Amino acid sequence: MNARQASPARSARVPGRQAARRPAGSGSPAPRSGYAGAALVVAGVGLGATTALTITAETAGQLAAPGGLATFGGNLTGMVGTYLALMMVLLVSRIPFIERVLGQDGLLRWHRRLAPWPISLLIAHAVLITAGYAQAARTGPWHEAGTLLRSYPDMLTATVGLALICLAGSISVRAIRRRVRREIWWNVHLFIYLALAISFAHVIVLGPSFVGHPLTQVVWSAAWAGTAGLVLTYRVGLPVLRSFRHRLRVAEVRTEGPGVVTVLCHGRQVDRLAVSGGQFFFWRFLTRGMWWQAHPYTLSELPRPPYLRLTVKGVGDHSSALARLKPGTRVAIEGPYGVFTRHSQRHPRAALIAAGIGVTSVRALLEDLPRGTRPVVVLRAARREDLVLGTEIADLVKRRGGQLHELTGDRTEASIDQHSLRRLVPDIKDRDVYVCGPEGFVTEIVALARWLGVPDEAIHHEAYAL
Amino acid sequence: MKRAPLLVLAGTVAGFAGVLGFHTRSAALASPAPGASGQHPARTTPGVKAGPGAVRSAVGVSEQFGYGVLDVKVTVSGNRVTDVSVPSLQVAEPTSQQICDQAIPLLRSEVLAAQSARIDGVSGATYTSEAYYLSLQAALDALHVK
Repeated sequence: MNARQASPARSARVPGRQAARRPAGSGSPAPRSGYAGAALVVAGVGLGATTALTITAETAGQLAAPGGLATFGGNLTGMVGTYLALMMVLLVSRIPFIERVLGQDGLLRWHRRLAPWPISLLIAHAVLITAGYAQAARTGPWHEAGTLLRSYPDMLTATVGLALICLAGSISVRAIRRRVRREIWWNVHLFIYLALAISFAHVIVLGPSFVGHPLTQVVWSAAWAGTAGLVLTYRVGLPVLRSFRHRLRVAEVRTEGPGVVTVLCHGRQVDRLAVSGGQFFFWRFLTRGMWWQAHPYTLSELPRPPYLRLTVKGVGDHSSALARLKPGTRVAIEGPYGVFTRHSQRHPRAALIAAGIGVTSVRALLEDLPRGTRPVVVLRAARREDLVLGTEIADLVKRRGGQLHELTGDRTEASIDQHSLRRLVPDIKDRDVYVCGPEGFVTEIVALARWLGVPDEAIHHEAYAL
Repeated sequence: MKRAPLLVLAGTVAGFAGVLGFHTRSAALASPAPGASGQHPARTTPGVKAGPGAVRSAVGVSEQFGYGVLDVKVTVSGNRVTDVSVPSLQVAEPTSQQICDQAIPLLRSEVLAAQSARIDGVSGATYTSEAYYLSLQAALDALHVK
């Protein structure tokens, strides 16, 4: 509510950036939580309906028959697992509604939290169906598995699909994920779409809830086709369209600090991008060796037509390669995403706490915050030179009548605990708290803020993953 | 959102109840009344001699039952059903074949005992039983038996 009232006044106050012309896109306020509640109820209805469909397709006689119980268990785990997989795809389909309610950070957390369920349910589905059919046919499970693969329609592709899902799932397990390059993980992850597509047919031609039930076939197919449409629209169509429209090219690359580079991109109609400070794009630099990977980087400044600026710390292969980008390189974008913006604000005042390269988000957010925010900005870094964009931030803070605290040193010297935080931000309870930085830092500060009495809805955070 | 699990749960219960309710209602509407499907065409083979005691047979229409297709051939002597068989059966996959292999002999004995298409069907082979019933009824209708 606050944000909605504040937005026209603020836009009018920013001269020379044509902020008033910004269309309402991702930069607009988050929908009321009523919609989020409705979406959750709808998701629940789908889950309940899926379960009920499996149960109504069953008869007492089938349950009592040899292997009946296992087969029923297989049907149930298959249906629920597939439904949850659909939910996971929807979560990351970049639908603006979900992006605004949960934010990328939040929806990825949900995606990650949900992930083990569909995968284990689908594995259970394969095991139980094989066992059930084997009992019914009075053969061994291995023999039955062979029969399933050889003589059942669409079962071979479904098995390949399950294997792909298991591969993508295992590569995302934290211990393995850490040892795999992001680019590889990302591309293996995309196989999930292929896996779901090639597994679809066996559900329709063999699933007891669908065979002989044209209505459920239509509803199920429509749900999947709709999801595929949303994914194609928001993950492929819209980014391609935006990239063509804005025709971004690298204009300049400069070193900002140790391992930190700023990339300035030049494009058309940059003012038409509905960006809020603190949001990020997925960037795809169209050069040899980089065109196939898109990475999320925050804008370190609000769009200043015809320029977009991002500031990146070289941690992975990709971000290190940015330093070698040549001016003129074409850039494709996907975004903007993120709810680490002024639209999440609940109070008139704010405290911004960032560590390491998290300062880039704070820099852009600060620029976007209304003047009355009187922000308290706390920046933490191991070394003084790691605090990039320092003068810009100091300037912005000064112009908004805020305070800037820079803490440098190792974790023990420059740690933020409840005492130091209370000292730096005495009225923290009455402020929105924006936290940005590495995952561990964010978790720590969020817990601290809660402990100091900041309500959950006033804590906004964005964690940086490598 | 602290209410999230509650909202999802409420939705789940609603969706579950909704589908169950819809299912029971549509099941009540859709259960076939015996003898209702008299319009199906069927191939008949007149017996050697016409008349009340003649041996005649007919093959009912092919019935799709989701997992396959079957048709039922019935032979009558006068009004007495002397034999029932399934001359053609095609199924999608081995499990359905197994189910049909077990169900069809049981269905046959049910028909011979009932001397009509008024059979209970075989539980665990609901689809096969329904298709069997429909094709059988069509064949009997073609022979003008009851």
